[in-house]
Amino acid sequence: MDFELGEELVALRDIARDLLAQRWKAESARRALDTPPSRMPAQLWAELAEMGWFGAGCSEAGGGSGLGVIGAALLAEEAGRALLPGAMTSTLAGAIALDRSGGAALKAELLPRIIAGSLPVTLAVEEPNGTWGPDAVVMAAQAGDGGLRLSGSKIFVADGSTAGLFLVAARVGDEVRLLPVEAGAAGVEAVPMQRIDAQDIVELRFDGVRVEAQRMVPDAGAAHDAYAVWTALVAADLLGSAGAALAMTTAYAKERVQFGRAIGSFQAVSHRLADVQVNVEIGRSLLYAACLALDERRGDAGALVAAAKAFIGETAVDAAEAAVQLHGGIGYTWELDVHLHLRRARANAVTAGDAGWHRETVARHMAHCYA
Amino acid sequence: MDLKFTAAEEAYRLRCREWIAANAHHAAAVAKAADPVQAARDWQRRLWEAGYVGLAWPKAYGGQDATLTQQVIVSEEMARAKLPPLINTIGLSILGPTLVRHGTEAQRRRFLPRILSGEELWCQGFSEPGAGSDLASLTTRAVLEGDDFVVTGQKLWTSLGPIADWCFLLVRTDPSAPQREGISYLLCRMDTPGISVRPLRNAGGGVHFSEVFFDAVRIPREQLVGELHGGWKIARSTLDHERSGLSGVISLEGSLERLWRQAAAGGEIADAVARQQAAQYWIELEGLRYLGLRALSDQLAGRQPGASASVGKLFAAKLRQKVARAALDNAGPYACLTKKSPHVVGKGRLVAGYFDSLGYSIGGGTSEIMHNVIAERVLGLPRSTGEA
Repeated sequence: MDFELGEELVALRDIARDLLAQRWKAESARRALDTPPSRMPAQLWAELAEMGWFGAGCSEAGGGSGLGVIGAALLAEEAGRALLPGAMTSTLAGAIALDRSGGAALKAELLPRIIAGSLPVTLAVEEPNGTWGPDAVVMAAQAGDGGLRLSGSKIFVADGSTAGLFLVAARVGDEVRLLPVEAGAAGVEAVPMQRIDAQDIVELRFDGVRVEAQRMVPDAGAAHDAYAVWTALVAADLLGSAGAALAMTTAYAKERVQFGRAIGSFQAVSHRLADVQVNVEIGRSLLYAACLALDERRGDAGALVAAAKAFIGETAVDAAEAAVQLHGGIGYTWELDVHLHLRRARANAVTAGDAGWHRETVARHMAHCYA
Repeated sequence: MDLKFTAAEEAYRLRCREWIAANAHHAAAVAKAADPVQAARDWQRRLWEAGYVGLAWPKAYGGQDATLTQQVIVSEEMARAKLPPLINTIGLSILGPTLVRHGTEAQRRRFLPRILSGEELWCQGFSEPGAGSDLASLTTRAVLEGDDFVVTGQKLWTSLGPIADWCFLLVRTDPSAPQREGISYLLCRMDTPGISVRPLRNAGGGVHFSEVFFDAVRIPREQLVGELHGGWKIARSTLDHERSGLSGVISLEGSLERLWRQAAAGGEIADAVARQQAAQYWIELEGLRYLGLRALSDQLAGRQPGASASVGKLFAAKLRQKVARAALDNAGPYACLTKKSPHVVGKGRLVAGYFDSLGYSIGGGTSEIMHNVIAERVLGLPRSTGEA
């Protein structure tokens, strides 16, 4: 047992932080609010592929760098910190999902293209039912003429207007399974949904879309597993957002002088920032635990992922609200980056399950443990 | 980076579990013993002789030189068996690590094994009537006369004062120096002439701490830890040790499980608010557990717990209070009864636990001071007031 990031992971995180700070400016995220969605520049996408990041979480056998969910989470955290468009995180989640559950044929067909950056991928799970997750999926794949046919609607599909491949959760018999659907497949239509932070989300409409039965992801638990991995990466994005909001506000509190003193010397200010710091550290501990539990396929992985997402979602919103408040008037302006983090945190807090929904998962785990 | 246990570690866990199963009745007998203090010492010695006390301490001084994983396994197994905390916890958690780092070789050999075995119980003499959060303003005087320090003053909030054999204390040795540069760290036998102890009753009605008066108490010079006038820095590292670790998680686990059972009829909590609340506490407790593991990993890599320990201390105190208060809330109207009431629920433990929880944000550094430490030492914000 060793619960600190190893050298390789620290190096990946540091490189990611530096590179994203150079290549992507908050100004681009702000401009996207008037001309949505916020899109990854093609040149940057190619550079990330060149660095091998899309395969960071995949096994070496799958063509990745074998850093696991924890490695992917560190990249997702930096994406959140940098306000980067979401496509990298969606692709990381999709790649890991296929690597973990895909079966040899599907992996050989899809993973090399995904890791090379030529096939951005995303999960399509949620439906217009006001809740989250694979268990709430109603869309059923109808069997016929040697294949499966999908009809209905998937909503809140992240990065859906640029993804080349959707991993669609649908009922097949009694189970919720994962089905790969190409973006250009006949009968698929993507309709933009307009997120408050200009991130690309779409409604996917399926009208009798055909999927070869043998292309279904073979592992029966793949939909739940993929959703858990994606949830962990969204939590990581939120942690990055919280860290950025905290860092901006701390820096401001050291500089801004009122009543002849830096406002960070007033305990009303410093104690609120200390509370954010505490929650960021607790959240980070939960995130690492959740990622390692996923990587080691532990029985409590689902509960830890739920714990991390619930806690960090609330932490990130608290951090961004504290940032608005402690910056004072300037924090309430369009020009300052604070509201960009507030928007991202608010949106991601209700993406891949909100805190209350995840606490229900935790409560079921407790009932199981205390039985 | 991993959370895995090897086959050898699983075997170690199994041995530990079997040992606890065979010996836990000795721990259970402590509270009912004719001399509970002696029984608690005996229990600690038994545990130490089996190799389950002082895991992180060097073998040369009676420790185990154990790995992080072994420490985690032992703390998990103790929690699983719901074993009570060890009686010499102040010596184990605070003085021991301090002597390992700052003591002379003679001091380590003299004191560390006896802390581990429970042969010598320790109390802490830091706070004073006029020096609480502002600890560096302490005024207990020590004057060097020949080979002895002569100590006069008063210490407050001293846990275990009436039963301790020894006390580690902070004294002012140079009144003319700046506050933090005139303090020394001494070790003192509690039966030295001139020491008197007055137990204090706390708000919950129990007696956990005391006042200790020093009237021209002579302490041999070799019982100075570190440099003369160099005690403040040592105390600060002591505070960090006091604030770090997994021990708090273990007792909270039991409280949370009791809260769940109290609210759940047959495994589920029907009320959505109570269920969500309990789930939130589980989340926070897991966060604290893995924060503790990160801190332990850090310490084993040779880094000091430092200010990060304040994060856990602050968060744990708050969580303990939330859990204790929720347990009272769940008791409804019965929450107003003393343990002597014929209608009391849970033998009065809920009220006792609630009062007990309120002390955790005061003792070992108040939560207000923890906020200052985090703001100043972690975030690098300008000083708001005195030292933390």
